[in-house]
Amino acid sequence: MTTATTEAPPDTRRPKRPPPSPFAIGAIIGAVALTIATGADWRYGIGFSLTEVLTDLTRPNAPMRGLVNIDLSILTNSRFLDAFAETVQMAVIGTICGSIVALPLALLNSHIGAPNRIVYGAVKLFNNVIRSFPELLWALLFVAAVGIGALPGILALFFFSIAVVTKLTSDTIDGIDPGPIEAARASGAGHWQMLRTAVVPQILPGYTSFAMYCFELNLRASAVLGLVGAGGIGELLNFFRNQGAWPQVWGVVAGFVIIVIIVEQISMAVRRRLL
Amino acid sequence: MSEPQTTTEQRFDTIVRPEKPFNWFRLIVTGAIVAGLLGATLTVDANWSRLPDAPGQLWTIARLMFTNLDLDALPRALEGMWESVAIAWIGTIIGAILSLPLALLAATNISSRATVPGVRFVLNVLRAIPEIILAIVLIPIFGLGALAGTLAIGIGSIGTLGKLSAEIIEGCDAGPVEAADAAGASKTQRIRWSVLPQVMPEILALWLYRFEINIRASAVLGVVGAGGIGTMLQQTIEFRAWGQAGIALLVVVGVTILVDTISGYVRRRIIRGPSGKPQEEEPAAQAEAWI
Amino acid sequence: MITFEQATVTYPGGVKALTGLDLEIPDGQFVVIVGLSGAGKSTLIRTVNGLVPLTSGRVRVGDRDVTALSRRQLRSLRADIGMIFQQFNLVTRTTVLNNVLMGRLHRVPTWRSLVGWYGSHETEIAMRALERVEIVDKAYVRASNLSGGQQQRVGIARALAQEPTVMLADEPVASLDPPTSRAVMRDLQRINRELGITTLVNLHFLDLAREFADRIIGLRSGELVFDGPGSEADEKVFEQIYGRSLTAEDVLEAEASL
Repeated sequence: MTTATTEAPPDTRRPKRPPPSPFAIGAIIGAVALTIATGADWRYGIGFSLTEVLTDLTRPNAPMRGLVNIDLSILTNSRFLDAFAETVQMAVIGTICGSIVALPLALLNSHIGAPNRIVYGAVKLFNNVIRSFPELLWALLFVAAVGIGALPGILALFFFSIAVVTKLTSDTIDGIDPGPIEAARASGAGHWQMLRTAVVPQILPGYTSFAMYCFELNLRASAVLGLVGAGGIGELLNFFRNQGAWPQVWGVVAGFVIIVIIVEQISMAVRRRLL
Repeated sequence: MSEPQTTTEQRFDTIVRPEKPFNWFRLIVTGAIVAGLLGATLTVDANWSRLPDAPGQLWTIARLMFTNLDLDALPRALEGMWESVAIAWIGTIIGAILSLPLALLAATNISSRATVPGVRFVLNVLRAIPEIILAIVLIPIFGLGALAGTLAIGIGSIGTLGKLSAEIIEGCDAGPVEAADAAGASKTQRIRWSVLPQVMPEILALWLYRFEINIRASAVLGVVGAGGIGTMLQQTIEFRAWGQAGIALLVVVGVTILVDTISGYVRRRIIRGPSGKPQEEEPAAQAEAWI
Repeated sequence: MITFEQATVTYPGGVKALTGLDLEIPDGQFVVIVGLSGAGKSTLIRTVNGLVPLTSGRVRVGDRDVTALSRRQLRSLRADIGMIFQQFNLVTRTTVLNNVLMGRLHRVPTWRSLVGWYGSHETEIAMRALERVEIVDKAYVRASNLSGGQQQRVGIARALAQEPTVMLADEPVASLDPPTSRAVMRDLQRINRELGITTLVNLHFLDLAREFADRIIGLRSGELVFDGPGSEADEKVFEQIYGRSLTAEDVLEAEASL
């Protein structure tokens, strides 16, 4: 640096403001174009307009009136309690069974855990496909397959849990400490022995936390499965909605929200300790 | 096998091996899981006798769907999925715009202790309500169709986006905020020039991640009549028009994976920044870690 | 006996870590390998158990040719070679005993290790290994609760539990403070003397090397530049190995006095 000053005078010209990166320009143009294409009022847009939202909101409407007269007595009604119990049962069974299946799948879904590229690719594809199914789509399919009731709901949550827990867990695997893996290999361990002794103990807290998080998701999700006949609190909601009984709809929603928040607070406290 | 060890056996006589401690925690956790599973399985009013049929039935459905795909249904499926994407995109924008001020109000390092708990409570309530239930309530107000769906997705996103953005804001470095303070900046200026530059990449990536999740939600909103491909999915599956249902399913899966891939790439690029460090480590893991 | 014949390792990208190395290490010897970081010490040690494959040449351990083994044979070779790491490479979230039992993995059927059922025989061997490094009282403590020196002893116990004929140690004391370093080296030496296990140790510190080695091997950019007993390795030799004059960082005691 010091030699440069003696040989050539320092470059005192002020630099020009650099143009934004091609990536930023592309991303901004893409985002604006997508917003116009999707939001505008044309053949393929949804025609979103704030004035429409405001005029609709200022018209008197049944759900808002129902919110004012919210019927909280529904929470002690046995129909609510039964439907709610079913929601919890479905979430418990779906989460536990799904999470158990998800652990080996998560191992195979990582570079470290897959024994070869073919297995890795196949598991990754399978996981991407089931991950793109919303829980209600699973419910639709299982209602068609095994009829209405809690069973299709449980199966829907089972597959939904596999997708969620596998994805979240396998994402943590590539970031673990590679030291124990080398140690296991150096002691002559087989592939599954290495995974069991060097990888699983490291991902176990994360995995448990994801399974509990998935239970929160499932509890929330199991409230809507009833809309397509797959059991739980959603059936009750659908019933009141079809009756136009909005005070009762709001009552059920309020009870559901309270319980979801309580479960979430407990689960978050436990998860914070785990990690 | 262990004879080498015996040579200096005497030296260890004085050292006492510890007893294996009883692992209460493990027992309780295992017990709770087994009891929960058994209890729920035995008490739930499910028609378990039909469970063995499920794989066979699912296989039959899959076969009916994909062996005679009804290609005539493709335009309708694509149009429905496009509407779902539109609902998810506009809904995410609404959620993002509304959640940012709420996130600032819910961050303890920015807002006063008085406002934080109230705002957090509102965010928690919004988080607890599934989008479909919001859609059910919004349809009588805004009519059947995409508008109700878009608002449902938007309102449904506020809760999660607000909470996670607040956590990102709380994690930002306090140094630049102090520096701005020392330079005489107002609170708004501090937020604009010290907080937002630190957190915006992560929050932008979070919005994109939410967009991916919202696509899944908007694909089924049509089940209750709030627009998108959900209507077609429900009708074709309910009336067992398997050829059409198969097309709709393929479109949903294909478009979802496509959007995930593009959005995931953009998210990683945003988090990594324009400097373009070599991809020595895959940042996807961190990106997905906000849950 | 471990033999290297023209052992060469070239990493992808053309970096030569070992070039045409010829060596013979008789059974029971305590060998210390010295050299700057990047000289090929870690690579050399890892070619012995096949963690790093040779690009050309041969490595033999006893009558087994490491370069020609099948996957299964390689695993059984590794089971006979214990290895100790600079960063200990323990699973810190599980107990000390579970870490040591990792050394028994090759001896138990896969399905049993998957459910964590090692059996009393394997547990006994693991316990004895822990006794040998005098840390058996911590058997049921989580590894993360141990100090660095204790963690390295667990690392040694894990290697001992394999009942190995060869012990490899890759910078075993680089993450430890000077007194602990000396204690760990003494442990390794004692094990070498008592059990007759051939021991290869990578070291950076010259005084430790001179103190404990039967034989010192000097590497410089992947080539053998010194091979002789510890007593012959004076400062001149080390300056030749390092390619520069010695500094305080090269000596453990100097670092301790700082």
